[in-house]
Amino acid sequence: MKDFLKHNGILILVIAVLLALITAVLSLTFGGMADPLSNAAGVIATPFRNGINAFVNWTEGVYSDAFQRESMQEELEALKKENAELKKQARDGAAASRENERLRNLLGLKTERPDFQLQEAAVTARSASNWSSTLTISKGSAADVAAGDCVVDEYGNLVGVISEVGLNWSRLITVVDVDLEVGGLIARTDGAAILEGDFQLMGQGRLKLAYLPEDTRLLAGDTILTSGLKSGDTAAYPSGLVVGYVEEVRSDDSGMSDYAVLTPAAELGKLEQVFVIKEFSMVE
Amino acid sequence: MTTKDFSIKWLAYALALLPVWFAQAFLVNRFPLFGVVPSLLPLAAVAVAVLEGASAGAGFGLAVGVLFDTLEPGSAGWMTLALTLVGLCAGLLAQYVLRQDLLGCLVCSVLALGAIDAGRILARLLTGRAGLSAMAAVAGREIAWSLCFVPLVYLLFRWVFRRVPKATVL
Repeated sequence: MKDFLKHNGILILVIAVLLALITAVLSLTFGGMADPLSNAAGVIATPFRNGINAFVNWTEGVYSDAFQRESMQEELEALKKENAELKKQARDGAAASRENERLRNLLGLKTERPDFQLQEAAVTARSASNWSSTLTISKGSAADVAAGDCVVDEYGNLVGVISEVGLNWSRLITVVDVDLEVGGLIARTDGAAILEGDFQLMGQGRLKLAYLPEDTRLLAGDTILTSGLKSGDTAAYPSGLVVGYVEEVRSDDSGMSDYAVLTPAAELGKLEQVFVIKEFSMVE
Repeated sequence: MTTKDFSIKWLAYALALLPVWFAQAFLVNRFPLFGVVPSLLPLAAVAVAVLEGASAGAGFGLAVGVLFDTLEPGSAGWMTLALTLVGLCAGLLAQYVLRQDLLGCLVCSVLALGAIDAGRILARLLTGRAGLSAMAAVAGREIAWSLCFVPLVYLLFRWVFRRVPKATVL
């Protein structure tokens, strides 16, 4: 290198000075425009510059992604959690709202029937067979629920009667079950009859009002209540509970007597919460 | 077969029974078709009896029957007896008369569901609670709807059957 510089140093220096001079002269000559030499160098270098720039940008992006992905992921997780929390709050709000409405209705029932001692219970299961219509509820003997207790919805509509009691659960037969038999009262006429489940009607979610008083003409929509009177060997039930509404009147197979088909007032398929009547005043 | 193999085998069948029980208790009863829900638990007893034979079928039928009776009120334990007999008879039929396959299971299921519903109808006729024609109509629809689930239940238990330890015949 020393020799190279020693022998060619002056020459190189001269070439450099000359190139500088030429460039300076050309720059002054073309005024604001790139001189041909710079321009040619620029033209050749531009694709490379662009490529390198793109590569650098890409690398920067990758680098940035690699280091920011974690924070973005964390942010996404936090947003997901927040979203789930908000959804839960909305659900809780809706559930609380429904419960609030039920309790308001219940308050009306309690005001109307102060003699009732009620026990709230949740419906936990429904019958899984075509041969009976039952519900399982979340309260049992530990809450003083007993077989034969009537069960109503928040409006005071009869849902059914407790048939089996466990420690913390009970089963009730609904008003459409064939085993149910309750004294009924036609609200419009005060005529007494017998409410009973019918196998054919059970599948349609209906029940029948049998042994109709002879001189009674039922109308569609007539309200049927519990009479509170004992029927045969059945237990005594509270009076005035709405059981259902008359849909139509039919004659039995023999054609000798009529019976009414009733639609239950309680929406048996949609019940979530029910109330067991543990105590009530007897009708004398 | 060792005690361990035996335990594993029946534990596997018990686990396979869980989704059937869950479907029976919580799912199908919410979506009745033509006013009836299918009866799935007897199908499970039949499927295992067809695959495993009479004595194992009777044992499994007993277990399913106990489960059925805890699920349904008012059966007074008669489903325990009924499903034990169903397991026994289905096992015998599949072993000696029919074949231990889906078709055999289907035939045994028809007979089992028919026998169970006949028992129910007879019991209700004796108490005079319902008319024969109404009950027969419900039974017919129930059997028809239940039979649609036979392939599903059979395939579930066959899947288990192929994976559990088998008794060695010397």
